[in-house]
Amino acid sequence: MVFAAMYSLTDLRVLLRETAPSHEMDAGQRGEAQRLLENLERQVGSLKQEMLK
Amino acid sequence: MRCGSGIEARQVDELFINIDPIQAGGRLTADAMKAVIAYGDGYSVCDNCRKPNRLDYIAKPPIAEFHKDLATWLNMDSARVVPGARRGFQAVAHTCVKKGDPVLLTSLSHYTEFLAVEEAGGVACEIPANDGHIVTADAAAATIENAKRRYGRAPVLAFIDHVDYQYGNVHDVQGIAKVAHQYDIPVLCNGAYTVGIMPVDGKDLSADFVVGSGHKSMAAPAPSGVLATTAEREKEVFRTTTISGDLTGRKFGIKEPELMGCTLMGVTLMGMMASFLHVKERVKHFENELANNRIVTESLLSIHGTKVLSEYPRKHPLTRVDTTGSFDTVAQTHKKRGFFFSGSLVENGVHGIIPGATRIWKFNTYGMTTVQAHHLAKVFVTIAEENGLKIS
Repeated sequence: MVFAAMYSLTDLRVLLRETAPSHEMDAGQRGEAQRLLENLERQVGSLKQEMLK
Repeated sequence: MRCGSGIEARQVDELFINIDPIQAGGRLTADAMKAVIAYGDGYSVCDNCRKPNRLDYIAKPPIAEFHKDLATWLNMDSARVVPGARRGFQAVAHTCVKKGDPVLLTSLSHYTEFLAVEEAGGVACEIPANDGHIVTADAAAATIENAKRRYGRAPVLAFIDHVDYQYGNVHDVQGIAKVAHQYDIPVLCNGAYTVGIMPVDGKDLSADFVVGSGHKSMAAPAPSGVLATTAEREKEVFRTTTISGDLTGRKFGIKEPELMGCTLMGVTLMGMMASFLHVKERVKHFENELANNRIVTESLLSIHGTKVLSEYPRKHPLTRVDTTGSFDTVAQTHKKRGFFFSGSLVENGVHGIIPGATRIWKFNTYGMTTVQAHHLAKVFVTIAEENGLKIS
């Protein structure tokens, strides 16, 4: 789960690189960012449950 | 944001379009970044190292398979990973060159090729580039004849850059190799700027050795690289150890002395491997890179007084320009002198030009998106207009 979260962040990092310097995203990139952020939220939620139970 | 005492997190490529000529091809892919996260510990690839205990025999992760794939991809017979192209030069020079031997280099060769020759005791014989900064087969033939007259024998090795670091020009490796082979001179093709950037076929180039750089052109962490060779030459450069301890009688299996045994035992190799599929794919789309370079180069040429010093039209995205007649005229009276240019670039989201440079400088458009190429093109013209330069 830790790796999954870090890998979602990595994909977001690459998206930032591809859109530098303005970070304006087209519709496809915006959709990808949304998907990655939702994954990340789920992964962090699972980590909270697992590590703090 | 710090990642350790005194170490700022590096965000150059997240915040800017990075046109640093040596950094463009080494930017990691997402998969390489993920491999770096998972394999950052020291000897991380050695979990499943079994006899005969050599890096290129490890099956899990699939390092053995990667070595075979590397050789196949370069159309050579055998390949090893090395800690940077320079270590490939060193291994080959140490194998082929004895004290006092003449060695062919070129007037555009990288300094590490010279150092490899120096360390092996060789003597440099540079093939001169022509007025267009291209190294030709005819010039190679003349240099070999000169060396024969001067040293009484032909050079024992030729280092030929596929694309040189100064102009990003493509040189006639195939033609030069044809000439060199007539004198039984083995040819090392320095692909530091081509392997992983554009298609490279070692057999087609008639190269005896192909050297590539992981961190310069294969989207891998530094130091990493590849040394590939033919079935004939692998017996020499990849020979195995024969030494034994006089006290203990110890021997060292099939370790290869020129490589000092295993080479990339962790994050460098895993980064290189993780990027490999992407790298194999991206070289097939090299035309797109040239198209992006054209967008930027044409915008620079629209600024009066600007010259492209590299061969033109461009065949590689590393490009050398002369802006003595444009941006440097501004620098003469600007309160920031030459720093106005690099400063303006940074303000507009562009990084990688040597601060203060306004005369002769290099940039590399490799890996940028077309949107970024248009942004960069617009930035150059905007800076020129803001400083009163004429645009056509």
